[in-house]
Amino acid sequence: MLSSNTYIISSALIRVGRYFNKSYKDLIRELVAELNKDLPIHDYIDYVVVSNVFSDSILEQLDISTMIIQELNLTPKPAVRVEAGESSGLMALKYAHSLIKSGMTSTVLVIGVEKLVEYPTTVVNKYMVRLLNSDVEGRYDIVTVNEAALLMKLYMKKHGHSREDLTIWPIKMHENAVNNPYAQLRNRITKEQVINSQIISDPLRLFDVHPLGDGASAIVLTNNKELMSKVGTGCVELIDVLHASAPPLTHRSDLLSLPASKYLFSKLGNYGVDLSDCVLEIHDSYTILAYLIVEELGLSDRGKAPYVVTDIKNINLSGGLKARGHPVGATGVYQVAEVHRLLTSGLGSIKLNNSWGLVHSMSSIDNNAAVALIRRCG
Amino acid sequence: MKISPPRIWRERYNYYMLRITQCLDCGRASYPTSLTCPYCGSSNIRTVNSSGLGEVITYTISYFRIEGQEDEVPKVIALIKLREGAIVLGEVVDVGLSEIREGLEVEAVLRRLKIDGNSGLIWYGMKFRPIIGAGIPT
Ligand SMILES: [Zn+2]
Repeated sequence: MLSSNTYIISSALIRVGRYFNKSYKDLIRELVAELNKDLPIHDYIDYVVVSNVFSDSILEQLDISTMIIQELNLTPKPAVRVEAGESSGLMALKYAHSLIKSGMTSTVLVIGVEKLVEYPTTVVNKYMVRLLNSDVEGRYDIVTVNEAALLMKLYMKKHGHSREDLTIWPIKMHENAVNNPYAQLRNRITKEQVINSQIISDPLRLFDVHPLGDGASAIVLTNNKELMSKVGTGCVELIDVLHASAPPLTHRSDLLSLPASKYLFSKLGNYGVDLSDCVLEIHDSYTILAYLIVEELGLSDRGKAPYVVTDIKNINLSGGLKARGHPVGATGVYQVAEVHRLLTSGLGSIKLNNSWGLVHSMSSIDNNAAVALIRRCG
Repeated sequence: MKISPPRIWRERYNYYMLRITQCLDCGRASYPTSLTCPYCGSSNIRTVNSSGLGEVITYTISYFRIEGQEDEVPKVIALIKLREGAIVLGEVVDVGLSEIREGLEVEAVLRRLKIDGNSGLIWYGMKFRPIIGAGIPT
């Protein structure tokens, strides 16, 4: 019996980290072993959608989705890789959702996987440049970190914030990550540690930046209601995945706005999303972006986000990109898996009764953005 | 080979001349050049060489280390408003870390961007420095 709705019925995650002794295939084997505990995925998966950003750059591997299918002995099932910069995870979800909504297929496995620490950081940094325009930023090896630093400076000046005022976000994220068993950085930090950490791009410091780590996560998306009784730890409904794009940073009339995210957030009312009854996972790759996203969401007045984030509950309970980590292509799938867990069986020991889940992702400084809307079942 | 000869030839105006688009409808300027105005969508545009003169809106001193270019940090990266109105991202050179400031007047200068090993091509492009002479020839 197929539903006209789409459900996330199962999720699997491994802790984000530096896995020198494991390949991307090893990470995926661990995910699948977890999923197979209910029922072998071979028996019910119709399609595999893989989110990955750096397979060509770091793994020297194209068509990674087929390599995964072969590794898992899932042939002849079809698979495809989706890449849209840092929003890849939610774009893969969008692709999977479209396959189901169109009636082409019923049950899709979405895998997010990224292997970053195969090389020293300076090599990975070289590939990070590729997330921006190679004809503009790429020529000078300008990276998102630099652009975030420029925005942080503009923000501090415009709203009269000191560097210290902006430390609250990373402190909160590290605090949240303590309770997330899948987070890369599960240690508390202090204001002094943030403001005395290494300068990456002034005024942005090490503790304002997501760490580099490997990761893999998966979710099962289906419209097959019968499957729900056999597989998974409880369902949530995937209402929609929205995405949008924005002009380059230099072409924006307000440098401190996030045009693509803003556009997507303006659509939330159409779905009846109640942010006060919502679990939020936002793309806090750099401290300043968290504040700008909170402001675009309407959770704070302009320039006031650093004063209100302490009081915003249920935002990045995972620890966010800052502390859960940001295995680039896998991140969006992590966020969705975390929201699935939070609203069903629990993420570690945290379990919530909220009606809604909102996952937000963006690439670089909002070059593109995506939002997944999730609702508790029943 | 890491630097593509056809690519740097094809992009020579954007790379060597700082060529910008001026919109004849809304009057705004943008970089790099495009077929339509990114602000109003008009195709009633003209392409001109920028004077190369501009002013630092804001800047960051970057210590972000990239393989093969570890010696280049710290480097100054800035948002610069050109006199023609276009905003560009660029690197400011020949400036002390205590001299760089918002509002600093800068001029474009042709500099080496990347080298393709010992025998490959050298890729040049525009960086910025504090004004010491006239702008780049137009
Ligand atoms: Zn125009």
